[in-house]
Amino acid sequence: MSELVLETEKLDKVYKLGGRQVRALSDVNLQVKKGEFISIMGPSGCGKTTLLNMLGCLDKPTYGKVVLDGVNITKVPEKGLFKIRKYKVGFVFQTFNLMPYLNAIENVELPMEGTKKSGDEKRKKARELLKMVGLSEREEHRPHRLSAGEQQRVAIARALANNPTIVLADEPTGNLDSKTGYEIIKLLGKLNIEQGTTIVMVTHDSHKAAHAGRMLFLSDGRLLAKEKQGTHLLKKELICPYCGREIQPDDTFCPRCGKKL
Amino acid sequence: MYARVNHLGALTRAVRNVSRRKIRALLIIIALGFSMAIMISIPAGIVANQKATQDLTENLSNTISAMEEQINTTKTLIECSAASTQFNRTDNFPGFPPGSAPPFTFERQEVYINETIGDEIATIDGVKEVVPFIEVSSEETTSETMNSPRGSFKITRPLYTITGVCLNSTFIDDYSILPTNITGEPLREGDSGVILMSLNLSEYYGVGVGDKLEICGESFTVVGIYNSTVQGSTGARTVYMNIIDAQTVTDNIGNVSRFDVYAENATCVNDIATVIEAAYSELSVTTYEDRLATLENVQEGYQNTLENAESTLSQTQAVATQEILIAVAATSLIIFFVMLYTVRERTKEIGVLKAIGFSNWNVMSQFMLEGTLISLMAGVVGIVIGSIGAPILSSYLLPHISLFGGSQGRFQSDFGSVNPGIASAAVATNVLDPQIILLAFGVAVLLGALGSLYPAWRAARTSPMEALRYE
Repeated sequence: MSELVLETEKLDKVYKLGGRQVRALSDVNLQVKKGEFISIMGPSGCGKTTLLNMLGCLDKPTYGKVVLDGVNITKVPEKGLFKIRKYKVGFVFQTFNLMPYLNAIENVELPMEGTKKSGDEKRKKARELLKMVGLSEREEHRPHRLSAGEQQRVAIARALANNPTIVLADEPTGNLDSKTGYEIIKLLGKLNIEQGTTIVMVTHDSHKAAHAGRMLFLSDGRLLAKEKQGTHLLKKELICPYCGREIQPDDTFCPRCGKKL
Repeated sequence: MYARVNHLGALTRAVRNVSRRKIRALLIIIALGFSMAIMISIPAGIVANQKATQDLTENLSNTISAMEEQINTTKTLIECSAASTQFNRTDNFPGFPPGSAPPFTFERQEVYINETIGDEIATIDGVKEVVPFIEVSSEETTSETMNSPRGSFKITRPLYTITGVCLNSTFIDDYSILPTNITGEPLREGDSGVILMSLNLSEYYGVGVGDKLEICGESFTVVGIYNSTVQGSTGARTVYMNIIDAQTVTDNIGNVSRFDVYAENATCVNDIATVIEAAYSELSVTTYEDRLATLENVQEGYQNTLENAESTLSQTQAVATQEILIAVAATSLIIFFVMLYTVRERTKEIGVLKAIGFSNWNVMSQFMLEGTLISLMAGVVGIVIGSIGAPILSSYLLPHISLFGGSQGRFQSDFGSVNPGIASAAVATNVLDPQIILLAFGVAVLLGALGSLYPAWRAARTSPMEALRYE
């Protein structure tokens, strides 16, 4: 059995809004194994981002615990959380959130600031990551000179800068057109297959969610018991999820049934 | 403007952030620069004023010593001059309202006496020698701008004085009728058509030894130049020539301005003076005792001047301290609000930085560095503005130091040559001291760091989740 990298236990989050209590998450129990690509699906306001914030140490639960890579992060004092965010978590945001005053490679280098890596090592690592996301030619470009898809690729490269235990992607295709969105999902899938990166993606788009290995459903702050298998696992096995025939890693369409992979 | 560096660092990010909004950064830096310029200019003004006061003290002390020395070595001298030879001022100096000093003019009312009187005086018992002089102001005038911390004002006076001396070898050798410290040749017995002139006047006309100079329409050869400058003074501009030449060119044949009458010994000075006063009412007679009394008056006047200057200086320092404190507060507040606004504006960015693993300290130092960078740039702008505008700024910001107050009589003294020295001591030249520049940089760094401390701390304390939600 694969090792668990992320586990939540009876996770509750209650917000106080104008004197009344709003329960954003309720009794969420989630397990993520190393190398998994999970999508958490649900409508807007169901608590997806709240859950992701708990998993990424950006927020503390009202009750319950989050264990990331064997560390109960709910017990870690505020001052120590930045290290977990730096080394164990990689964030991918819906709005990319790149620094406009830095070029692509500098944006990727940013999380490595304050690590023990030398300047040359940081640059080398950033270059490798940009190559991995297919942006070798654009490393000197500032965000405003990159397309939305390219910006999200830079953001993904940035998330991987410190080899995190897990990548948390919050609606990574939300600001992209359908075609570019699929390319980003495919890139995440590729990273999962080739690099073994553990990915938790939240989205309200069922089509995109279906490309993950495992689909979880969140409704009104509760994680539903039903789970679905996405197409990713079969693709990982180089099997077309639609016709069951063999496919190649670089195939965009199934050579047999012609469906988009 | 973007720094091109291979490796990304906090400083690079700070520079890029500051230069992101160039116009805004420029306006802030200029505003802060003015504040800094005030901080720089005021100490420069104070230092200049302190130096002016110090120079004044030294100059007055030198002048008093010179007068004392002169008086003590001439105990047998009785000065007999045409009674009304004096300066008349046409101005409201020194009590002119601050900032509205009008130009004023010195006019010498020159009255002459017949030179034959000298021969008559020589016959009085106890008189050893009678040395005649003629002193005539040039028609050409000069306007001098005098700077004071409150502003500059203009003085118009004759450009130079023609002094005609009797070129007799006894007078030259025994009675010091000519200046010393000469470049070239001194005037000698029987010389005619030649002049000995003061260095400042030769510089004014651009003539040297051997050159010709036209005086009252006549051409004279410069045989010697003497250094008239004493410390802190421009000295008197004077041309010495044969008394006959002077009388001729100034159309004063047979006239003199004064006689220096030397008694055989100090005991008969008063008797001789009494006889001269009784016989020649047109002469103003001054003896050793009179000169001592004048010296006391002058000393008293100078003392008042110094006290006045010192008192104003201390007032100036008090005002300057207040103004510097206001400038410091203004600078800190500008940085504070600018950085507070910047933090608010970049809340989302702070959220992202924290989400990707920036510690509170990383975030805080980033904003403090930016604040410090802005104030450092403002420091540079301030030094530039301060270098150009320090005299103007300090003249507007600091109270006027009246170096002349309480000593009106000084200009009427017989020791006319000391006046330009006193005037020049009041010139406050506001030159920025390297120490002040260094101090300004230090203050800039400190204020930048202090002003951005709270905003940076707020940025560091921002919850990443809330910051990410901020639009």
